[in-house]
Amino acid sequence: MKKKFKFSMLLKYFALIILFIYIISPFLWLLIMSISSSAELTLKPLRWIPEKIDFSAFKELLVMGLNTRGELFLYALRNSLVTALTTVLLSMLVTIPAAWVFSRYSGKKNVILSLAIFTFMLPPVAYCIPLYKMLVRFDLMDKSLALAVVYCTFVLPFCVWLIKSSIDAIPYELEEAAVIDGAGFLQRIIQIVMPLLLPALGTVALMSLIMAWDEYFYAMLFTNSKSAITLPVVIANLASGRQSNYNLIAAGGVLASAPPVIIGMLFQKTLIKGLVSGGVKE
Amino acid sequence: MSYKQIKGSYSFLTIPMILIMGMVIGWPLIQTFIFSFTDADLLGITKPSFVGLSNFLDAFQNRGFLNSLKISGIFAVVVVSVEVILGTSVALLVNQPLVGSKVVRVFLILPWAVPTIVNAIMWRLIYNPEYGALNSLLYQLGLIDKYVSWLSSADKALWAIIFADIWKNFSLVTLIVLASLQSLPESQVEAAKIDGANSWQRFFYITMPHIIPSLQVAMVLRIIEAVKVFDIIYVMTKGGPANKTRTGSIFIYQEAFTNSRIGAGSSFAIIMVAFIILLILVYMRTLSQQKR
Repeated sequence: MKKKFKFSMLLKYFALIILFIYIISPFLWLLIMSISSSAELTLKPLRWIPEKIDFSAFKELLVMGLNTRGELFLYALRNSLVTALTTVLLSMLVTIPAAWVFSRYSGKKNVILSLAIFTFMLPPVAYCIPLYKMLVRFDLMDKSLALAVVYCTFVLPFCVWLIKSSIDAIPYELEEAAVIDGAGFLQRIIQIVMPLLLPALGTVALMSLIMAWDEYFYAMLFTNSKSAITLPVVIANLASGRQSNYNLIAAGGVLASAPPVIIGMLFQKTLIKGLVSGGVKE
Repeated sequence: MSYKQIKGSYSFLTIPMILIMGMVIGWPLIQTFIFSFTDADLLGITKPSFVGLSNFLDAFQNRGFLNSLKISGIFAVVVVSVEVILGTSVALLVNQPLVGSKVVRVFLILPWAVPTIVNAIMWRLIYNPEYGALNSLLYQLGLIDKYVSWLSSADKALWAIIFADIWKNFSLVTLIVLASLQSLPESQVEAAKIDGANSWQRFFYITMPHIIPSLQVAMVLRIIEAVKVFDIIYVMTKGGPANKTRTGSIFIYQEAFTNSRIGAGSSFAIIMVAFIILLILVYMRTLSQQKR
C-alpha cells in the first residue's frame, strides 16, 4: 500500500516537471534568441546557450534614428499604447452607464445586452469590408483614434457583459436607501455603485487592455505607417521579411510580450476571478 | 420595495453604447449583407450591380470555400478538445499539494499572456526549416536524420499550427478550471472520504460536477475563438502550403482584399456567420438538455 502511494507521487512529480518544461521552453528559447548574435542563430546544429550575451537586437529596436527600425518600432510602441488606452477609456465610459441600466432595469433592454454578447461570436471578416470602405471614405485610415473606435467591436461586448454581472452582485438595498433620500441616477451610479465596482472595473480594464494590445487583424488592414501602425503588425512584418536577423524578430517578440506578461503575473488571481464570475452565473 | 418598483426611465444611458455598436457593428453587418447580393469590387472601379442569390449559389459550389470551412472545422474541433482535456488535467495536477506546484501555477499565465502574433512568430522561428530549434533538437536527439520543413509541407503545416495554438490557449482552460477547483469546499471532499468514497468516486461525484460550469465557460470562449481563427495562421503560413491551412476567415479575407471581390467575399462571410450561429444554438440546446 505504501509503495503504491510513493509510485503515484513519483508520477505526479514527473508530470509536473514535464509540464513546467512545456510551458517554459518555447518562451525561454525566444528570450535566448533575443540575446544571441544573429551569427550564432544560424549555426547548424544550434548552440543552445550563447557564447556571449548580445543586446544589439534590443538596441536596434529601441534607439531612435531617422528612418531606422528603431524609429518604426518606437512609434509602434506608442501607437499600441495610445490605441489600447483609448479603446479601454472609451469602452468604460459608454458601458458603465449602459451596464447599470441593464442590471437595475432589466426588461426589454436586455435584448440589446444579448445582442451585444452575441456579436462577440461573429468573425471580424463579417464587418471588415464595410469598415474598410467607411474608413477610406471618411479619410480615417491610419489613425489611432479610428482604430480605437473599431476595437470597440470586440471590447464593448466583453465589457458590458462583465460589468453588468459585477453590478448584479452589488446589493440593490444600498441604492434604495439613497433613492429614499432623494438621490438621482448620477448620485446612485457615482456615489454608491462606483466605489463598490472599482475592483471589478480594474479587472475588466486590464483584460480589455490586453485584448486591444493583442489585436492584429484590424491593425493590419487599417494602418500602414508610423502614424498609427501597432506593434503586432510591425513584428509580423519583421518576421515575414526575407531577412534572417532572427535575434531581431525575437527581441521584438519579447518586448511586445513584456507588458501583458508582467500584468498577467502580477494580477493573475483577479484576472481569472473576473473572467469566471462574469461567465458562470447566468 | 423591489427595484422594479422604483420608477424611472434611464434607457437614455444606453444610447452612447448603442450608437458606437451601431456604427462599428450594426451598420457594417447590414452593409456586408447588402454587398453579398452584388458583384461589388474593393476599389469601386465598376458600379456594383445586383446579382441576386448567385453569390450564395456559387459559394456552395466553390471547392475552395467549402474546403476552407472544413479546415476551420478540423482546427476548431482538434484545438478545443485537446485544450479542454489537457487544460483540465493540468489544473487537476497543479491543484495537488506538490512541492513546486505553486511556482508552476504562476508560470501558467505566461502562454495566455503572450500576444497571439508573438506566439505565431515564436513558433515560426522554432519550426524554421534551416535554423529552427525543433529540427536542431530532434536531430541532436537522433530522432530525425534530415531537417524537416514543418510549415511548408502540406501534411504537417496544419498540425504544426495546431500545436502552437494549443501551447498558448490550453492555459486559459487551466486557469479557469483551477479557479473553480480552489473554490471547492474542503469539507465536501472530507465528508466523502469519511463515507468511504475512493478517489475516483470523489472525482466523478464531487469534483467534476463542481468544475463543469466553469469548464463550459472556457469551452464557449475557446470555440468562438477557434472557429474565427485568422491571426496565427496568417502569420505562420498565410493559408499555404497548397491551401492546406486556409481557414474560412483566411479564405474570405483573400477573396475580399487580394482578389478584390467584396460581393462574393461578403456572401461567404454571411454563410460563415450563419454556421457560427447554428453551432452556438446547437451548443446551447445540448447544455439546456443536460441541465434537465
